[in-house]
Amino acid sequence: MSLKTLTKPWEAMAYGFLDGSAKREIRRKMIKAIAVPGCQMPYASREVPMARGWGTGGLQVSLTLVNPTMRVKVIDQGADDSVNAASIRRFIARVAGAPTTMDTLDADLIQSRHRIPEEILRDDQVLVLQVPNPEPLRPVQPNMSIARQMHADADYGRMWLQLYEQIVRSGRVMQGASYPSLVHGRHVMTPSPIPRWDVPKLNMAQHLTILSAGREKRIFAVPPYTRVEPLVFSDVPYKVEDHAGLTCHRSGTRGFFMNEIPQEDGSSAFEVSDSEWGVKAIRRRDGEEVALGETWYKNGRMPS
Amino acid sequence: MAYVATRGGERAIEQSQRLFCAEMGDITPDRIAEIRAAMPYLIDRIMGEASLYDEDLAALALAQTGGELYEAVLLLRAWRTTQPRISVAEPVTQDALFTHRRISAAFKDIPGGQVLGPTLDYAHRILATTVLDGQVSTPDPVTPAKMASPPRQPSVSAWQAENGLLSPAASDHLTGNDIPDVTREPLLFPAKRAHTLQSLARAETGGVLALGYAAQRGYGQAHPTVNELRLAEAEIVVTHPRGTRFSAGRVKVSQAEVVSKKGSQLELGFSATMGWNEVKVIAAATLDLNSKGAPKGSATEEEFFLYHTEGVESSGFCIHFKLPHYVTFQSSLDAMRDAKARKAAPEKSPEPAE
Repeated sequence: MSLKTLTKPWEAMAYGFLDGSAKREIRRKMIKAIAVPGCQMPYASREVPMARGWGTGGLQVSLTLVNPTMRVKVIDQGADDSVNAASIRRFIARVAGAPTTMDTLDADLIQSRHRIPEEILRDDQVLVLQVPNPEPLRPVQPNMSIARQMHADADYGRMWLQLYEQIVRSGRVMQGASYPSLVHGRHVMTPSPIPRWDVPKLNMAQHLTILSAGREKRIFAVPPYTRVEPLVFSDVPYKVEDHAGLTCHRSGTRGFFMNEIPQEDGSSAFEVSDSEWGVKAIRRRDGEEVALGETWYKNGRMPS
Repeated sequence: MAYVATRGGERAIEQSQRLFCAEMGDITPDRIAEIRAAMPYLIDRIMGEASLYDEDLAALALAQTGGELYEAVLLLRAWRTTQPRISVAEPVTQDALFTHRRISAAFKDIPGGQVLGPTLDYAHRILATTVLDGQVSTPDPVTPAKMASPPRQPSVSAWQAENGLLSPAASDHLTGNDIPDVTREPLLFPAKRAHTLQSLARAETGGVLALGYAAQRGYGQAHPTVNELRLAEAEIVVTHPRGTRFSAGRVKVSQAEVVSKKGSQLELGFSATMGWNEVKVIAAATLDLNSKGAPKGSATEEEFFLYHTEGVESSGFCIHFKLPHYVTFQSSLDAMRDAKARKAAPEKSPEPAE
């Protein structure tokens, strides 16, 4: 045995960019996060070669989970070809040698900013959501240390009050994306700024969802088969975006979350936000044999 | 396949980077050497904010980013975080610093003396426009003092503590990897003392100045007197695996002590950073001085200023607003339109919980 046999040649960076100690910390924090669903676990959050606020939290989780056989899909606001999704996908492939895909059905690991794909995720898939602000209490309590105490006490009164005030003032809950949700009946979490359309997909889902905020240094998780309930009053039902009746002007697909495209004549056209779903629908329409997975929403409705 | 044809993401980002870099031309070893030699204070500033002391890498980061400081600091930090920890140096003490400049506003003279050292403080701020006409501006030669000032001096606060004017901070005997490291563990509040000082040391200069200035102007409780401001070089003493202690070199450091009267005692605020950066350490020490007992949510509260002076985080978040937000925007529009429709037809709106 010599020093040479015990060591390996110098390399400019570790596999998957992050060094062993960073990955170990993230693995430990992910396990904690899974053990206490919806509870925010602080972690060191190393710098990565991307700006903070651009998916560095999701990226650190992806870089920790990835291995050379994992097929990686990256989406930004539903689209695989969005510039930042392209940048993250290229980075993961470069430092981890992992194959990439755009098809939700083929992906093992999906890093996403602000959308959950329309096709149902399986129990062998992991969804990593990028989180800008991990603290659902921020609008009512910007101080992190006080908010932490409020979570410990399950003190969500001000959260409810805020929703109530919105109903009184505007006739409905005005929360757009990031709808605060109760996880496993204990911790209120932000599901990240996914639209309200996507929140029911997390409830009792088969797949594991890890949510990671790099700038704010918090990881939390929704383990498979965990209750995720949007905060609603019993007499005012939860309302997703009114997209059930919209048709994608490119793919013709209908009953999914749409992007609104303002038109010069003052009207709006719509295109399906899950871009790969749209692509597959076009390919199938053009006669190609394309596998379309089962979708969470059927005819624009989430079966309860 | 029209949908697929519009997918230009990868090519677009590649070309936009090329466009940015094209303007700066070749990055050569000469350019790096010139940046390093010509802009020591800029190099110091970004080394401090990156918590990485390497003048060549700092000059390279500046060259690569065209002087975009936030980007340069991020480049250095992303490099730093992947580097192995070979050893942790021994603590640097104030009286062991090789001092170039050390001034006190609290006393006319201090043990060890006032040492003016290098500064532009008394320069008349006039542009040397003749250089643009082709003349070389050569600095006048420095005349050495008849008597060199002592290279090592005690701190002013040590004298004050001896005279019962302030209570010295409790000494911390942690060494090596036992010292809490804010780059390897999350910052939680109330923050560990080490985390506070480390965060201030790597904070963004402009951010620290803005909040420190707010405190100095009157949004803080304590008015700072600069007890001492010091620019120095610190010896980096490490232990070889064989047990030999040796100096791995010197790094430039700045430190400031500011004090304020609190009852019958002086209260001390402290800050130190790598590189020579006077504005930053005075402003940071002012924040430290004001943080004890500061109201929650005020600019001098520790959580407030440590979060908001983190340059890589704050600049990254600020520029992230350029990313598409059409899903979140669409979600808000939906709620807005629905609320508007309900107002127009109020009989349809459900009764709020009774």
